[in-house]
Amino acid sequence: MSTASTPVTPVTIDTDRPAVPLTRLVGVELRKSLDTRAGRWFSISILALCAVVMLILAFLVEPGNQDFSFFLSAMGGTLGYFLPIIAIMLVTSEWSQRTALVTFSLEPRRSRVVTAKLVAGLLLSVAVLLLSMVLAAIGTGLASGVRGLDVSWTIDGRELFTFFVTNLIVVLIGFAFAMLLMNTPAAIVAYFVYSLVLPIVVGIVGALIEWFGDLAPWIEFNTAQVPLFTGDGTPTGQEWAQIVTSGVIWLVLPLTFGIIRLLRAEVK
Amino acid sequence: MIQVEHLTKTYGGFTAVDDVSFTCRPGTVTGFLGPNGAGKSTTMRIMAGLTIASSGKATVSGVSYRDIPNPGTQVGVLLDASAQHAGRTGREVLTIGQKTMGLPASRVDEMLDLVSLTDKESKRRVRNYSLGMRQRLGIAHALLGDPKILILDEPANGLDPAGIHWMRSLLREYANRGGTVLLSSHLLHEIQIIADEIIVIGNGRIVAQGTKEELLRGDGTFVRAGDNAALAAALRDAGIAANASGEGLGVEAAPEKVGQVAAAAGVALVELRPADGAGLEEMFLQLTAPNQRDQTTRGVPA
Repeated sequence: MSTASTPVTPVTIDTDRPAVPLTRLVGVELRKSLDTRAGRWFSISILALCAVVMLILAFLVEPGNQDFSFFLSAMGGTLGYFLPIIAIMLVTSEWSQRTALVTFSLEPRRSRVVTAKLVAGLLLSVAVLLLSMVLAAIGTGLASGVRGLDVSWTIDGRELFTFFVTNLIVVLIGFAFAMLLMNTPAAIVAYFVYSLVLPIVVGIVGALIEWFGDLAPWIEFNTAQVPLFTGDGTPTGQEWAQIVTSGVIWLVLPLTFGIIRLLRAEVK
Repeated sequence: MIQVEHLTKTYGGFTAVDDVSFTCRPGTVTGFLGPNGAGKSTTMRIMAGLTIASSGKATVSGVSYRDIPNPGTQVGVLLDASAQHAGRTGREVLTIGQKTMGLPASRVDEMLDLVSLTDKESKRRVRNYSLGMRQRLGIAHALLGDPKILILDEPANGLDPAGIHWMRSLLREYANRGGTVLLSSHLLHEIQIIADEIIVIGNGRIVAQGTKEELLRGDGTFVRAGDNAALAAALRDAGIAANASGEGLGVEAAPEKVGQVAAAAGVALVELRPADGAGLEEMFLQLTAPNQRDQTTRGVPA
């Protein structure tokens, strides 16, 4: 009897095997955003920065600005610059570190990977926002307990809405730029141009040229969002239309083209 | 079973993969041999669904890679051992794969053990790994899901001679259990050591394929005599061409015929055997000749 070779049975691929569930992909993406020194310290650093802002506001800023709602908007304003970078790095590090080769060979249905990254990025952002809410509460407590100021703890729904929605919108814009550009520095620069440079340029040009000033809220998303958070917080019909058109330009279109690019890109 | 049928990939006017067809069978280790930029990596990326073919198709047991659920548990892929996040530890790289595929955590230690990465090494960051260690980690990652098919791009690159022999025994054993292996290399000697079947690719086209024995069997005979000059003269008289080859002669005739001529001429032989891999080696050298490099660098690098 020959034992030289084992009888070879034809290898078949089991197409009925369960696919990788989305929850597992989300878990892995969350892990990937925190399992390197760079990723972990970035999240810790932005919370540390929030803590510094909180201490300044609690002890150094003149009295009368230490209500919980002030702390909350200070946290939200600080995070608005940095939360999108977490989202950007979730996408662009796959290309800069070339791990996309592994990620997409383990889940070739790229739309599922994109969904998992979006969900993971939003979950992480919400977690950071909640932790910064805790910092805002600590700041309010310090201002009243240690510094002996009169503070108000009340907060209305609109302030909470502003806090979460503005930040989650910029996280999505960060995602869109990251997928469109597939490059960390380029996406971060693009985001800062959008959030810092653009409103200023549009404001200056709008002040100089009247028709452009009228047009600005229709095409500049930062400006268009203002009625959501000021006054009574309920935009008029025209303001809603401006939010929708500028939102399409800066959020829906980049996100759509970014996803299309990522689904089609050759992974090398 | 891996099947590639009339696969073509063009980038603008440059054809990286040109009507490539081949099959890898279970129980064999197939070597995909070709110079840098010949189209090996592009072909393998198409197999793993990372690059879209211009025409033709690549399937795994009749199924397109993109249609395989949880593919890591059925097809092990290593496309570039250096394509790992430099800031992750080796263990973390495997843990991410283990969690994605939904495997027990013990698999990570089993694989580290299999590729001889120590516990201490596994806790170092990949940026501090040598290329050989990255290759071992990449092999561990490809085998993590216990797949029946392996697709490995340049897995022996960066391994020392002992590492190459280690890889041969690992893949040999894997194939003997019924596994299918396709691995690429730009080095003939690596493929000669590891593979049973060889596919040679150059300029995007397959230029030769067959078993190692078929391809390495050269035409003609190598012969060495005490007096090579006398033997060469005797062969010439018999109308057989003979050229100097190493310490003996390369002869374009069967060994039996060469022996008869030597016996008739009374020349004592020291060595007489079929000529070895000259055919494959020459073909490979032609593929790697300078003009060939020019052609590939002018186009889009693979």
